[in-house]
Amino acid sequence: MMPPDDELLDSVAALALGILPADEARSLRLRIALDERLLAEYRSLRMAADLVGYSAESSGVDAAICVPLKARVMDAVRAQAPARIPRARPLLVWPAWAAAAAALAFALATMLQNATLHADVKSSHDRAAQLQTRIDAETRVAAAQRGELADLYAPDGKHFSVQGGEIVQRGDRIYIAMRQLPKLPKGKVYQAWTLAQGAKAVAPSVTFTPDRAGSAIVALPVSTARIAAVAVSVEPEGGSKAPTSTPNFIRKLG
Amino acid sequence: MARVRDRDVAAFEAIYDGYNRLVYGIALRMLGEVSAAQDLTQSVFMKVWSSPESFTIGNFGAWLARVARNRALDVLRGRASHLEGEMPNDIALEGTIDEIVFARIDGARVRAAMSALPAEQREPIELGFFGGITHEEIARRTATPLGTIKTRIRTGLRALRSTLETEVPR
Repeated sequence: MMPPDDELLDSVAALALGILPADEARSLRLRIALDERLLAEYRSLRMAADLVGYSAESSGVDAAICVPLKARVMDAVRAQAPARIPRARPLLVWPAWAAAAAALAFALATMLQNATLHADVKSSHDRAAQLQTRIDAETRVAAAQRGELADLYAPDGKHFSVQGGEIVQRGDRIYIAMRQLPKLPKGKVYQAWTLAQGAKAVAPSVTFTPDRAGSAIVALPVSTARIAAVAVSVEPEGGSKAPTSTPNFIRKLG
Repeated sequence: MARVRDRDVAAFEAIYDGYNRLVYGIALRMLGEVSAAQDLTQSVFMKVWSSPESFTIGNFGAWLARVARNRALDVLRGRASHLEGEMPNDIALEGTIDEIVFARIDGARVRAAMSALPAEQREPIELGFFGGITHEEIARRTATPLGTIKTRIRTGLRALRSTLETEVPR
């Protein structure tokens, strides 16, 4: 490659100083990019051209200009600067977060506790209702038992002896009161039978099982006015429509 | 500049303190008005803050001086339509700028070196850099042939570099 001529190198100096017209500058840049010697010249002169600007550097700018100018620039910069979080802030934030977390945990615990209490209260209400129902039932049973006892031991009651017990009649009520009933085989119950006046066959009545001692008191759901006799037999669980075994006893009333 | 890219205001302030006299001096020299120079100085440093990625490689002071000059030329173009000659930034310069020279340079040394140049070299260089006019306009204003102007500029720049490289201790 031929050495660049002086005129071309002079143009490179003008380009480095930035005084070439735009179209001439574009053309020369292309040539510089393709020619290492032109590029070396450009680099050398460009440094000198850049240094020219330093000759304008103010050695002592008037404070009346310098100070407010800096304040102006810094104000503008700070206005565009992102908010910086002070280093100490996390230390201040942690307690707030911890307090918030504790408050949240407390609220959750309170909610759970409230829910549990509500459940407990509801459960207690349910249990109280169940207990009340049971008390009412047992009260009724107790009242019935007191009535039964009153009938059984009433001086005006009629007692009809049977094997292992008696039939008690008081007013229009009839009781079977057994003291020594034999223990039943598995799947068997005792069943009461009533014979209405003028009837040719007994009618099935209640089934029952005695306690471990063989005792049982059973109120028959009938009116004595129409009952002529009472019998008891051993029957399958659930009862029978007609006696399936020999009755333990048949007792005529009256 | 890396810290400025991270939006560090303190780092920016350090840059401002280090280079505001250079930028303001160029602006004042080229525009000739204090208020215009102040505005231009603020504009240049706001570019540094808002577009720090604009500076990629080379000497920061040299880059900032070019930015200041080119912005001042923009202002001058508003006053006169015939101005030309932005300093090119599209030619790779990595590894070519003598960072030691730039690191130890200051306005007084450059002014001294410029003063040492013959007036016939110094004047077209200063007219070109600070006046923002083309070599043809320089030739016309100085009533000198264009070729002569270009040669004087080249000779003056080489001498300036040589002087500063010699005077600045490495």
